Formats: sequence, structure tokens, C-alpha cells
Amino acid sequence: MKALKLGIGLVSILLLNACISDDYIDDNIDPVLNIISSIDTLEINTDFVFEYKYFNNVGQSESTEVSWSSADPNIIDIDATGLATAFQLGSTHIYVETIADDLNLIDSIEVAVGEMTTFEEVIEIIEGAIVTTSSYKLEGDFVFEATETGVELSFKDNYSASTALPGLYIYLSNNNNSIANAYEIGKVETFEGEHKYEIPNLGFTDYAYIVYYCKPFNVKVGEGTF
Amino acid sequence: MKNLAIIIILSSITSSAVFAGGPWLKPKGKGYYKFSEWWTVFDQHYTDTGLIDPNVTTGIFNTTLYTEHGIGERINLLLNATLFSRNYMNNVRSRTTEELLIPGEALQSLGDSDLGIKYGLTKAGSKTPVSVSLILGIPLGKSVGGTLNNLQTGDGEFNQIIQFDAGRGFNIGKSSAYVSTYVGFNNRTKGFSEELRYGLELGIGLLNNKVWLSSKLNAIESFKNGFTAETVTSTSVFANNAEFTSLAFEANIFLTKNIGISANAAGAFRGEIIAAAPSYSLGVFYDLN
Repeated sequence: MKALKLGIGLVSILLLNACISDDYIDDNIDPVLNIISSIDTLEINTDFVFEYKYFNNVGQSESTEVSWSSADPNIIDIDATGLATAFQLGSTHIYVETIADDLNLIDSIEVAVGEMTTFEEVIEIIEGAIVTTSSYKLEGDFVFEATETGVELSFKDNYSASTALPGLYIYLSNNNNSIANAYEIGKVETFEGEHKYEIPNLGFTDYAYIVYYCKPFNVKVGEGTF
Repeated sequence: MKNLAIIIILSSITSSAVFAGGPWLKPKGKGYYKFSEWWTVFDQHYTDTGLIDPNVTTGIFNTTLYTEHGIGERINLLLNATLFSRNYMNNVRSRTTEELLIPGEALQSLGDSDLGIKYGLTKAGSKTPVSVSLILGIPLGKSVGGTLNNLQTGDGEFNQIIQFDAGRGFNIGKSSAYVSTYVGFNNRTKGFSEELRYGLELGIGLLNNKVWLSSKLNAIESFKNGFTAETVTSTSVFANNAEFTSLAFEANIFLTKNIGISANAAGAFRGEIIAAAPSYSLGVFYDLN
């Protein structure tokens, strides 16, 4: 009986240590500011609203206070909301700017003023390679391209992934260290060779990274960059 | 990952068994009974390449009753019952924003347990006793739990182990000592790979055998003939093909003629798909001689 009491007391003390606490992941990245309007030429005496996309220091898309400016307001002037007006023929740069995490972020686009508004042809296909960020095997080349309904991510025949991990998932993310706010493509079911994912209703520039993540272990396994 | 821990659990159990008997059997009506807490908390693991990678901090705590009871002159009944098992994973937070990204979870239940019989192949009193054990792993634990189905208190499979133990007692000066070894085969079900298990233990009794110190080398080699993530189409998240070589140190101290306390620390120094952290156990035992 003494032994049993001693044992129960021991177990009670030890179980107090079996509580859930916090792990932290280093998910800080540099914020990014991009002009997403792909205009090439603005028709003279017409207006156009420029748009931007801002990703904060954890890769989350959010609105932020930006300032718009023109290198030559006599050609194109732009107000605080991004509304631009073409006044005379020529060419100039449009700037968007913000300060985030003590960083001065600037993006610019060169725009001409002409007889009609035209948009630049955007290249919507990227080739790259995934690499392992762990000691699990993960490698191969990919092609990421826009489709009529969304995007397609296809892997070439040199793709290879370890089959040892249970619950390996693939995501599209704007933070290569985190799957928070990421788009979950699904569980990885192909571990060798060519295969592809067709993803509807996603834009070509919506995400910047491919992230492979082991859900059961809650750990990143590999990544690819667009 | 938790599979790994379960393997370590079995290793720990084996340590108890060896102290209680190894190839040495309890006479009829006598026995060894131990109530203990076993636990490991790990934030890294051996991958399939044998290297170490991080993972979310995971804890497994098992409350176990181990008994080895003589039911015949050459037959012992073995029972290792995990009366309570708790498996948890920590919250995952952003270091940048402190936002809770993945909430931690826990699962509690009965754990997988073992029932077996040990038979003495040599007569009682033999200088080099040899025994054979048949151990059945009863999947009483939960093999799936938590939002992501990644918590478990058992692997969900019914396994059968046949194990041979041999040993020899000797003296070092005035102290009693022993060496024992075992080899076993674990036949597993539900797509888990079969395993070869083996180990070597050295022990010495001090202070008129009131204190027993032992060290043990344990190893599990996977046959790697089970399912992998590639061959299984279910949503199972459990690791397979785990293997390791670990070293354990154990102290058993008699407080009275029959009652004592036991402490064990073990850790794998080589492994694949297994926790890369030490495990510990503390318990009290009753040795009915």
C-alpha cells in the first residue's frame, strides 16, 4: 500500500509537467510592396487607377498607407488614391511608397501617354526548383503557370520526395517559413516523377512560394520560390 | 513520431523486465510488480536519413503497471498495462506577432498494453538461464486523435513478439553482477513493418544488493516491409519503419526487503523516424521473493 501511494504521488507530480506550452517559429520576412497594374500606355486626357499589393512582415496581404507620385506630373499626375491622369504625350515613372518595419519600400512602373490605353503582356509562366530545407529528400523542377481558370503547378520527371514522412502537404504561401494564411493545395500523394496540380480561382501573383510541410510534425520540409 | 515514442516505451518496458527477470524467472507464487511513470518530451527527431530535424514539441506520458508473476516453476505471466497515456503537442506561435498559428492539442486514454508468457528453457538454478517469451501487444490506446489526427496513445496494431533471453550471474569482488542479452522478432499488423529487437544488459548489486545499477543497450531494426506514405492511401499519419539503438541507465533501490524505487533514463544515439530526446521513468516496485 505504501508503494502504491508513493507511486500515485509520483505520477501526479509528473503529470503536472505534461501541459501544453508554446513553440515559436521564426516567420519574420521583409515586407513587400508591388504595383500590380500592368498598364503600358495611358490614353491622353483619360484617367486610370493604379493598384498595389502589400505583404507585411509575416507575408500576410493587407492594406497599408501608401503614397503615390509621378516622376513628371506634367505627363501623368497621380493623386493620393492612385488615380492617375494623362496630360501630355511622353513617358514617365509612377511610384508607390510606404514605410514598414523601418524599411522604405518603393516600387515603380514606367508608363507612356499615347493615343490609346494598352496593357503590357504579362509573362505568366515561371520555372523553378524545389529544394529540401530538412534532411528529408525533396527535389525537382517545377513549372508554375496561369490558366484560364486559375493556375497550374506541374513537376517534372526529376521530382523526388521522401516517403518516410506521414502527412506531407503542399502549400502556396507568401512566407516561406510559415503556412499561416497559406493556400493548402493538398496532401502529397506522388513521390516520384511527373505530376501536376490544377488550382482554380487563384491568381498568378497571389503567392510567392511553394512550401512543403509535414502536418503531424508541424515542421517545414522544403520550398520553392516563384 | 509517436510511433517512435511507443517503441521507446517498449524499450523502457524491456528494461523493467530485465531487472525483474531477464532470463531469470520468478518461482511459482512469487512476482515482481512495478508501478511507474514513463515520459519523453522532444522537439527534434531522427529522420529517415539518420540526421536530426526539428519538430513541434511533443510530450508523451505513460502511467504503467508492470507485473511478472510465477504461475508455474518455469512459467511466468507478463503484463505491462498502460493505465493512462497522455500525448500532447505544443501551440505553434509566430515569433513576429505572437499570433497563435496552430493550437496545441492533447489526447488522453488507456495506452497500448502487453500480455505475455515467459517459459524457462533451462532448469531453475541454471548458471546460464535461457528463456523464451511470447508477448502480445494489445492495442488498447487510441491510434488517432486531435484535429489533425496526429495524436495517439497507441499505434492501433496487434503485434506479436517472440523473444529469447539468456544471462549469467557472477561476482565482481564482493558484489553480485549479471550480464544478459536478448533477441526478439516483432510481427506487426496493419501495414507496420516487422522488427528485429536485441539488447545487452550489465548490472551490479551494491550495498548488499540493496542498490542495483544497470546499463542496457537496446536496438530495433526495421525490416521496412510495411506501408509508407507512398503505398498507403488512407489518411493515416503514423510513421513506420522506425528503428534505433539506445543506451539506458537504471537504478533500482530497495527501501525495504520487498519495496523499492526505480529510475531509468534512456536515449537513442542512432535512429530513423524516432524521437531524438531522452526518455525517463520513475517508479516503485514490489519484489515478492
